[in-house]
Amino acid sequence: MTTTAGRVVPSPEPAPPAHRLGPVERLTSTDHKNIGVLYCVTAFLFFLVGGALAGVIRLELAEPGRILANETYNGLFTIHGTVMIFLFVAPFGAGLANYFVPLQIGAPDMAFPRLNLLSYWFFAGGGALILLSGFASAGGGAAMGWTAYPPLSGLAHSPGVGPDLWILGLAMVAVSSLMTAVNLLTTVFLMRTAAMTMWRLPIFTWNMVVVAILGLVAFPPAVAGLSLLLIDRRLGGHAFDPLGGGDPAIYQHLFWFLGHPEVYILILPFFGVITEIIPVFSRKPLFGYTGFVMATVAIGALSVGVWAHHMFVTGVVDNPFFAAMTLLIAVPTGVKFFNWTGSMWGGRIWFTTPMLFAIGFLLNFLIGGVTGILLAAPALDYQLSDSYFVVAHFHYTMVGGAVFGIFAAIYFWFPKVTGAMLREKLGRIVFGLLFVGFNVTFWPQFVLGQRGLPRRYVDYPPDVGFDAPNLVSSLGYVVMAAGVIAFLVDVWISLRTRVPAGDDPWGGYSLEWATTSPPPEQNFVSMPPIRSERPAFDLRHPEARP
Amino acid sequence: MTTRPRSLARVGTRSLAVLTALLNASCAFGMQEGATKQGEATFRLWQAFMLAAIPVALIVYLLIAWCLVRYRRRAGDDPQALGRQFRERWSVEIAYTSIPILIVVGLFVLATRTGSTVDAVAAEPDLRVNVEAYAWGWRFAYPEQGVEVVSQPSGEGVPGPVMVLPRGATVRIVLTSNDVIHSFWVPGFLYKHDAIPGRTFEFDLTPTRPGTYDGECAEFCGLNHAYMTFSVHVVGEDEFEAWVARNRTVGAA
Repeated sequence: MTTTAGRVVPSPEPAPPAHRLGPVERLTSTDHKNIGVLYCVTAFLFFLVGGALAGVIRLELAEPGRILANETYNGLFTIHGTVMIFLFVAPFGAGLANYFVPLQIGAPDMAFPRLNLLSYWFFAGGGALILLSGFASAGGGAAMGWTAYPPLSGLAHSPGVGPDLWILGLAMVAVSSLMTAVNLLTTVFLMRTAAMTMWRLPIFTWNMVVVAILGLVAFPPAVAGLSLLLIDRRLGGHAFDPLGGGDPAIYQHLFWFLGHPEVYILILPFFGVITEIIPVFSRKPLFGYTGFVMATVAIGALSVGVWAHHMFVTGVVDNPFFAAMTLLIAVPTGVKFFNWTGSMWGGRIWFTTPMLFAIGFLLNFLIGGVTGILLAAPALDYQLSDSYFVVAHFHYTMVGGAVFGIFAAIYFWFPKVTGAMLREKLGRIVFGLLFVGFNVTFWPQFVLGQRGLPRRYVDYPPDVGFDAPNLVSSLGYVVMAAGVIAFLVDVWISLRTRVPAGDDPWGGYSLEWATTSPPPEQNFVSMPPIRSERPAFDLRHPEARP
Repeated sequence: MTTRPRSLARVGTRSLAVLTALLNASCAFGMQEGATKQGEATFRLWQAFMLAAIPVALIVYLLIAWCLVRYRRRAGDDPQALGRQFRERWSVEIAYTSIPILIVVGLFVLATRTGSTVDAVAAEPDLRVNVEAYAWGWRFAYPEQGVEVVSQPSGEGVPGPVMVLPRGATVRIVLTSNDVIHSFWVPGFLYKHDAIPGRTFEFDLTPTRPGTYDGECAEFCGLNHAYMTFSVHVVGEDEFEAWVARNRTVGAA
């Protein structure tokens, strides 16, 4: 590569050509980069499945009247929710972490490579069980909603093996997340390269540290809750059975004690992604690095104290306490918006596709965040809870936020992972279709909620204000689907006709941009000096030394 | 020249009138107004939250838009050129952390006040209605009046049961479920409450406006969840008495 101002920069001799993995090697190699790719590709396949299910749901709801059996519809939204949350967004974040955390801290691999592969297979296996639970179960699939509240999820109301498979699959995914969390924390704490202090960690890695800690805190109670549910169903337990002295509300506590940290487990990796992207394409350092890290830690800490805002309407929790915690968590999230804005302020913004997706993230997520503040007031939640308003709210955070973050990450890091660029022009079309399609799909759902349409309804009466928003929403889905297809075309073309990316097509900041694309085995031939949170930038711009 | 200030004043009052009208029309922000005393409080809270949320969101959007326009890379710019390399401004950071804290503290105070209004239960309600939810229907019992209303076997196209309430009365709803979790939701009242088997919940509704309001089960409860609907008729006192007299089935209290 190059020598800048007398400083030797990675790989003086040309890197050996990347070794192409055969299928068996692909599935068994413990290289963190391979596992990262496996995670992301598998998660994206689950996204296509979950997206197809959403298509059937939107088809059913496009007009009043039914085309599906109630049971089929109930199964569809159950599996759609489970797949998107546990098998797409979360593992995609884990995949990115697998690939990029070791690179960003200058490590040759994860701390426990075989545990890493095992956690992938637990995720893939659990995912397969969850798909089976919905579509191929004797005596009825899982159709109790992704929250699986008892008594509805008990044997009396959900017979068949579907719910059992669903519980087992989800428990496997939870165990997989725990293994990944342990692995990530060990890697970050023990394997950072020389001079990579915690206060020089790239923000994506910082966010994954908080995600991993949240996983360790939140998943065990959820596994406990799911186990009790399984024991109630099959082994004669009565933990959640009111007739046997149990209490179904306890399940909700256990579930949401995972469930709410989980939404931060889902979104924090992508906060991290866009915090990598925005400064790079603004040609500036991140504004307020320290404040940003503190805000991330604060979100992590507060997020374990907000779970019962999902239970305001149950009448079994102390509403003011959870309202206070929920309102408070808006503050560190708000701080991040100012970090992002401040990072663009005074910059030279280069509108690449990853930057467009990052901007889309900001625009969408703000609406998700603001509507979250409305839902934090118990009295407002009494009206909005379990309505389409909530559906719109969390899709604004999960699709408008996390999924836009995923596309930002793909467009940003695809050149690093494959050595080939994605097509910029096609990328803009993908962004346009997804941005317009997303807002057309989900904005009308706020209106539906305010007009009184509950979620999880297979049907709705005509002429009471539900028809038009539902139809518009379904049309929006078509636009989004076109965006996803355009993206797949982009990937296909870009891999067939490769435009070489070089080591650093964007002018990136963190260490992954200081090695080859794709990085060699063991990641680095030589390591640049670490003087700040953006060593690759310091290497190119010795004059702008911090 | 003396006419000028007067016409200015006229323009001023007119634009003020237009502004007020616009504000009144748009101040609902899509929310129904709430046809109970409790719902009216919730509606005012909604307005307060929206009046806080919209300006904050607009400020953030304007800041983002300003950056995107003002600091965009223009055609012919050197792609290697850097932006200004500043990393922090503690004054700004303290401001954008502390101002939101003040805002959420204010919102919390408003939210808790309205919460206690909505959650308050009267010592002596004017009327009691026992509501039992079951898969997939409702049983409304008026123990003091000896009236009971039950869903027909539910399903597509079957009209739900009707709960009749007298306007202005403080109605105590005593809610339970006998199988899975349901939720009693009257969107027009801006209120819902879960019905959980093994537990009984009590809350008050004080209908203020006559009319018919749709009610729905809002907590997913299985096969016919979407058809577990009901309606609430709010009527005058006399009409309510007449309805009770017509429908009394059990020995009156």
